[in-house]
Amino acid sequence: MKTIILGLGNTVLGDDGVGVYVARLLRGCMDETVAVREAELAGLDLMEMLNGYDRAVIIDAILLEGEDPGTVFRLRPDDMKISPRLASCHDIDLVTALALGKRLRFHMPREVVVYAVQGEDVLTLREGCLPAVERVMAPLAEEIAGFLRGVPCERISIDLAERKSGSA
Amino acid sequence: MKRVDIDPITRLEGHGKISIFINDEGSVENAYLQIPELRGFEKFVEGVPIEEVSRIVPRICGVCPAAHHMAAGKAADAVYNVDIPPVAKKLRELYYMAHFIHSHAAHFYALAAPDFVLGPDAPKAQRNVLGLIDKVGLEIGREVLRQRAISQDIQILVGGRATHPVWNIPGGVTRALSVESRDKVKGWAAEQVQFAEFSLKLFNDVVLSNKKYLDLIMGDVFEQVTNYMGLVDENNRVNFYQGQVRVVDTTGQEIIRYSESQYLDHVAEHVEPYSYLKYPYLKERGWNGFVEGQGTSLYQANPLPRLNAADGMATPKAQAEYEKMFETVGGKPCHKLLVNHWARLVEVLYAAERMEELINDEEITDPHVRVIPSTTPREGVGIVEAPRGTLTHHYWTDENGIVTKANLIVGTTNNNASISMAIKKVAQNLIKPGGEVSDGLLNTVEMAFRLYDPCFSCATHSLPGQMPLTVEIKNTAGETLNRISR
Repeated sequence: MKTIILGLGNTVLGDDGVGVYVARLLRGCMDETVAVREAELAGLDLMEMLNGYDRAVIIDAILLEGEDPGTVFRLRPDDMKISPRLASCHDIDLVTALALGKRLRFHMPREVVVYAVQGEDVLTLREGCLPAVERVMAPLAEEIAGFLRGVPCERISIDLAERKSGSA
Repeated sequence: MKRVDIDPITRLEGHGKISIFINDEGSVENAYLQIPELRGFEKFVEGVPIEEVSRIVPRICGVCPAAHHMAAGKAADAVYNVDIPPVAKKLRELYYMAHFIHSHAAHFYALAAPDFVLGPDAPKAQRNVLGLIDKVGLEIGREVLRQRAISQDIQILVGGRATHPVWNIPGGVTRALSVESRDKVKGWAAEQVQFAEFSLKLFNDVVLSNKKYLDLIMGDVFEQVTNYMGLVDENNRVNFYQGQVRVVDTTGQEIIRYSESQYLDHVAEHVEPYSYLKYPYLKERGWNGFVEGQGTSLYQANPLPRLNAADGMATPKAQAEYEKMFETVGGKPCHKLLVNHWARLVEVLYAAERMEELINDEEITDPHVRVIPSTTPREGVGIVEAPRGTLTHHYWTDENGIVTKANLIVGTTNNNASISMAIKKVAQNLIKPGGEVSDGLLNTVEMAFRLYDPCFSCATHSLPGQMPLTVEIKNTAGETLNRISR
């Protein structure tokens, strides 16, 4: 089974870069069936990057109302039932990208897990994350490594359905 | 007064919101779009050597990295007061044409086309890129993606990278084009011209030959009469990479023409107390509000405004399409906002033809791609046409070339006032006195801002958060009376 770990984010936008940093922690720790990549892309580009893999783990920043910075959510694509194109104004969203890839008969991952870290500030140009987000990077990398190896490990992420403030 | 909020941005809850204000009679009084803005750019580049800036700015926006790379690269040339070698200009332009095709094609096929190919009234679940593929077929879908990948590959072959280019340096570019790479790009460029022609034919067959769509395009709701801005060459033909900025008024008369270093004499930015957004306007006219019509101080900068601001296209096939377009829509300048989608495709054809011209230029593999700057750096401005409007980068440095100050006017910003006014008009049309909100509101508002291809956030990826599109109707006390979302 071929797996891709994809860290998404912008490393000059503070907490927005968290996905990239966590992916970097995982690089070198995984066996040859796992590719680790980082990207600052969305939509159609994402579809092309995921093509050819059986399983994908995506790490990204998120901003949900009323959540504490550093909270990690685990999502499945079904958790993101949203408008088919407005996630990004210039591109299609992840759910549509996966569906489009399948429609075009690309080899899209059968399993997609998204780890989303609540950011504090993703709008100020700055390198590196703020402390609340920085703190969860190493434990999150460990959780992802354990998940991919099928080894029971301590979870810091919570499923989006368990989110205290409700719907997403 | 009631307030209707539409929140089209999923990633940043509470940002990127459309607010529609309804007065006590239930009529729309005003509408504003608020876009999340990055903070701290000036501080971030302060202390950075100017030659590194063009490598940093593509990272602030993954949607138009090449546009920022080009504007900052040209500004760095100006800081050193250096005229780059002819082949370096041609290579930069070649690279940039591929970026335009990549960006415009994504917008047309993934975002704009579903409204037309499936129809604005088609069920929401079908009116998207998946429905589009079902309608036009898998083969066309695959071909669109292949052509998009080719335009990406051209950027990689010419400039090393597509998303984070590091190729522009003061005085030119870091590497020449090899003969092998040139031969590869030659074949691709020819394919891209065919792809552009195919896209225009599709637009013609599906949109223009359907009276319903043509009526929608030519109707009054999607109309806005302002001044228009765009870069032009010495013959007043559209140019994306270099030239002078030309502004024409609502009748098409040239009213302003300026070179890069003079932009501050002609463009000023207005700020409203309710928003952190800036609204650029023509300085000579003074800010005269969110009004359209002859005499307005507002301008638009986007595909159709660019074509309005010029006298034509510099390549033959694009020129023929330009003439056909303006003839069909009743002359130039055209104030029908949805014609932007057509203009965008005319620009794709121009970019592809221009790419073919450049790659067949005998000089294109000339190894002399840089001159070493020898003057003391000071201050410089670089202007290019970004896919979504005129892009200006301005830097000041100390005598060692270390940035002390920066100013940017990005593509979408030019259109901030225009977007708000377009949304207002749509809302006025759909929200009738009494405050009833029609079902068509969400999609029609979407169509209004989508035609600008706005770059809402320079953050480049987008993990969805909550509601993608929410309308809240509030009374004067701020209580929510109704909420529509999807």
